[in-house]
Order: sequence, then structure tokens, then C-alpha cells
Amino acid sequence: MSPLIRRISLVLLLGFILFVFITSISDFSTIYNDDGKLFYYANGFQDTGSYNYVTGIYLDYRLFDSLFEAAILLIAVAGVMLISEHSIDEKNATFMLDKQKTPELFITFSRLLYPIMLLFGIYVIVNGHLSPGGGFQGGAIVATAILILYYIDITKTVNVHVVLTIEKILFIVLVLTASLSYLTRGVLFTNFFRLDASLDQKAIFLTLMNILIGAKVSLGLVAIFTAFLKEGR
Amino acid sequence: MNPILSFIVILVGIYGLSVSKNIIKSVFCITIVEAGTILLFLNLGAYEGGVIPILSSLGIEIVDPIPQALMITTIVIGSTITSLALMLCIKIFHHYGSIEWKVILKGDK
Repeated sequence: MSPLIRRISLVLLLGFILFVFITSISDFSTIYNDDGKLFYYANGFQDTGSYNYVTGIYLDYRLFDSLFEAAILLIAVAGVMLISEHSIDEKNATFMLDKQKTPELFITFSRLLYPIMLLFGIYVIVNGHLSPGGGFQGGAIVATAILILYYIDITKTVNVHVVLTIEKILFIVLVLTASLSYLTRGVLFTNFFRLDASLDQKAIFLTLMNILIGAKVSLGLVAIFTAFLKEGR
Repeated sequence: MNPILSFIVILVGIYGLSVSKNIIKSVFCITIVEAGTILLFLNLGAYEGGVIPILSSLGIEIVDPIPQALMITTIVIGSTITSLALMLCIKIFHHYGSIEWKVILKGDK
């Protein structure tokens, strides 16, 4: 079978899938309803103490999901570490970025930008329950700020195995903090303050979880990027 | 934004996965499928004139927060899958000396 016929049949098949999707989407309102939205609008703020409904969902109602999400990030980092193990000594592996080739303008502006980005990332993490943001997004910003350091001085590097160990410990702390609610509420994986606690008390839990998740995400991304950098030899 | 448009993005990604001859392009196509999925889910609860799901004095005109909370998961998992796949690409290149599917599927060096 020639490649042309194969591609034409592939396009026809995908067109058929699109046709099925369009015909099924015509009665879209029967598939989707906004009961969940109305429930969160009515009860979300009182239950979770979070102004940001998305944070309230992924740190309270669906904390179980977020724990596995953090676990998948940990597994992926461990997988990248495992694959990137190589027999060549670290001394022989030279870095992809060369300090001589990095423009001076990059280095100067990196020095200026680095503290501001770090501050902004921490702001996004800590205010995750008040404004748009949260642990995952803020963690990515903090990781980017730390990675900018490679522009400033390429010879300084982190030990990825130490980072991975810290990340494992953080994940255990995360699971333990999420499980604390079993002692106070009798239910696993929710806020460990009682349901009738004040908003400030609930905010302590949300901020703590956001900081833990943010630290974990930023460390994971730094470890992944460092492994890639060492690969470029 | 129409849900059909985001579904077309998914189909473009699947087409690219089927015809791409290069591993890196296959990885890119996986991210295109992922982007289409995110668009599709965000379309579910969104409507014209909806505001961000943060408690405010703007009333009930918020978009649905549930798909947004689910899509945070998808974004993180998608980025990790991409990084893992790219690291595998590097290892495959070191082993076979090429990142073309034809060379790799033959199995020879």
C-alpha cells in the first residue's frame, strides 16, 4: 500500500471520528450540567475556607487526586534520574551551556531578574488560596528562577540525588499532613481543622499544603532540568 | 471557543503521531493532543461573560472550577511525560545514532 493511500485513509478515519463527535456534541447540555459549580458556589467557601475555588477543590475536596499527582511527578523525576545514569564520570561530562558563549547581557539581566522571580514565585505559592495561583504554578515559577542561576554561573550545580531524597521526604510529609484529618475529622485526606473552624485556621492548612507542594514541584523541575543539562555532552 | 475546534486540535495531534518519521516530532504531537484535551475541558464550564472562579462581589457569573482543577493535574503530568520521553529520546540517540523511526525499528546500530 502506497503512503498516499495510507494517509488518505487515515484522514478519512479521523474525519469519521470528528463526524461522530459533532453529532454527539449536539446534545451537549444533556451531558454537561453545572450542578457541581452551583454546589461549590454555595458550600465551597464555608467548607474549605478558600477564596479561590480551584485551590479549594484540589486541596480539600480532591486532595486524593493531588497526592497522586505529586506522586506521579516524583516517579517521573526518579525515572529521568534512572534513565540518565551513565557510566562516564561526572568530571568528563562537560556542560551544554558554555560560560564563554553566554552573552554578557543575559548574565546581567539574569542577576537583576533572579530575586524578583523568586519573590514572585513565593508570592504566588503563599497566596494560592486568595488569588490565582497555588503550589503547582508557583513551584514552576520558583524552579524557573533557580534555573536562571545556570546562566549566571554554569559551574555551580546541584547534586540531583540529594534533591531527589529531599523530594521523597517532602512527599512523605505531604501524605502525613493530608492524613492528619483522620485524627480530627475521622475522614482521610481533607483539612485537619474541624469543619466549624474559623477561616484563618483553615487558611493555615491551605498555605501549608501549598508551600509543601510548591517546594516539591520546584525541586522536581530543577532536578529534571539539571539531568538534561548534564546529558548535553 | 467551540468544543469542535479543540477536538480538531486533538485529531491533528493524532494525525501527526501517525505520520511523523522522527521521535522528537512524535513527542511534540503528544503535547499537541494534551493541549487539545486541556482546551476541550476548559471549554466545558466556560461561557461568554464568565469570570474567574474566585469569591468576589461579582456574583454567580463564575466559570466552572472543576475542569480547571482537573486540568492542573493534566498540565503537570503532561510536562513530566514530555521530560521523560525526551530523556528516552536522548538515550535512543546515543544507542542507535539516529532518531528516525525507520532506523530504530530496524534494530541495527
